[in-house]
Amino acid sequence: MKIAVDAMGGDYAPKEVVAGIELARDRYPEIEFDLYGQTDKVKPFLNNADHINLVQADEVIAMEDEPVRAIRRKKQSSIVLGAQAVRDGKDDAFFSAGNTGALLAAGLLIIGRIKGIDRPGLTTTLPVLNKPDQDQFLMLDVGANADSKPFNLYQYAILGKYYAQTVMGVKNPRIGLLNNGTEADKGDMVHKAVHEVLATAKDLNFIGNVESRELLNGVADVVVTDGFTGNAVLKNTEGTALSMLKLIKSSIMAGGISGKLGAAMLKPVFKDIQSKMDYSKYGGAVLLGVKAPVIKTHGSAKAETIANTIGQIQTMLKNHSVDNVVDYFDAHSEEMAQAKADMQK
Amino acid sequence: MSKDEIFNKIADIIADRFEVDRDKITLDLNFKTDLDADSIDFVEFILELEDTFGAEISDDAAENLNTVGEAVDYIASNSAKK
Repeated sequence: MKIAVDAMGGDYAPKEVVAGIELARDRYPEIEFDLYGQTDKVKPFLNNADHINLVQADEVIAMEDEPVRAIRRKKQSSIVLGAQAVRDGKDDAFFSAGNTGALLAAGLLIIGRIKGIDRPGLTTTLPVLNKPDQDQFLMLDVGANADSKPFNLYQYAILGKYYAQTVMGVKNPRIGLLNNGTEADKGDMVHKAVHEVLATAKDLNFIGNVESRELLNGVADVVVTDGFTGNAVLKNTEGTALSMLKLIKSSIMAGGISGKLGAAMLKPVFKDIQSKMDYSKYGGAVLLGVKAPVIKTHGSAKAETIANTIGQIQTMLKNHSVDNVVDYFDAHSEEMAQAKADMQK
Repeated sequence: MSKDEIFNKIADIIADRFEVDRDKITLDLNFKTDLDADSIDFVEFILELEDTFGAEISDDAAENLNTVGEAVDYIASNSAKK
């Protein structure tokens, strides 16, 4: 298997990207890497070129570049050249820590959608904190599309199901629809329509509406949502966790000697909590619904996170997660066309 | 490249991308009404035209391209400037 890597994307690129890829190369000897970037900047950080091939890309898409314009105008950028290599079958998957919008646009417009998919969805894995038999769940869309139609959410449910099965190893994933209440009639027009379709879908283990406060308690394996809500919930979850940690820290600092002594004794507990909350160990966000795995990790990712994300891509490729989706939509093309027509009435 | 050559290349791309019978593609074919294509299909198509002909198609120009004939004229005049 061969992975295309955007060596220029991310706050610490290319140094941490190269270090992460070297770490991943040592972990997964079966993977070959094509690193797209300005080779004179990338090469000095490369200690050992085994299984790593540097490919010159003259241009760089910056974090602030407007996505679609950037991929149309910077044809010699690492993101465009990497995506083209995947489209042309030279590489099997694409990884970047760079401009999310540009990566999504490259995935969508250069690598292209799987036949039958209307809008690909951006998917992220989050931790489940208080459940012995479940340690993670999947949420999509978390921001590929701000405006979603009921048919898009129906397809997210199918995409999420296959990802949970092939990558997370959940046999019959519980699919929940993120809504503002658990009753079937909750929500706006879009969510009511989606509930109706999911409730009658044959192939899906739909458990009904779920509320955002239950997500980290493992209420579902796959949480389906529109991109606008999903993005807001994701950022709120991250922000709340960080604010809580800050609050605990400042309370300890203000608590005098006894507070500090207590905190010192609880240090292993805090470490354990920190490790559970560290969602970077689950890898990056995946654009589901395109013809090859396209994965984005945080712009602030360092080597360890990047290597973990490569592990996630390795699992996707090994378990043929994209092929499964292609087969499903191939076999159900008439059903999909009918569902789309029904939902647009 | 002559207009005929440009037309043939564009017709090949459309036949392949939108699964249309190659013989039914004429200069009058309208991308937006005659093809089963959404907005993303159209941007993909514009990108493929840019890659194939090495021409840059601005957002405004892309907005105004409706038929195969208009695309042929646009590419012919843009290539001529080079």
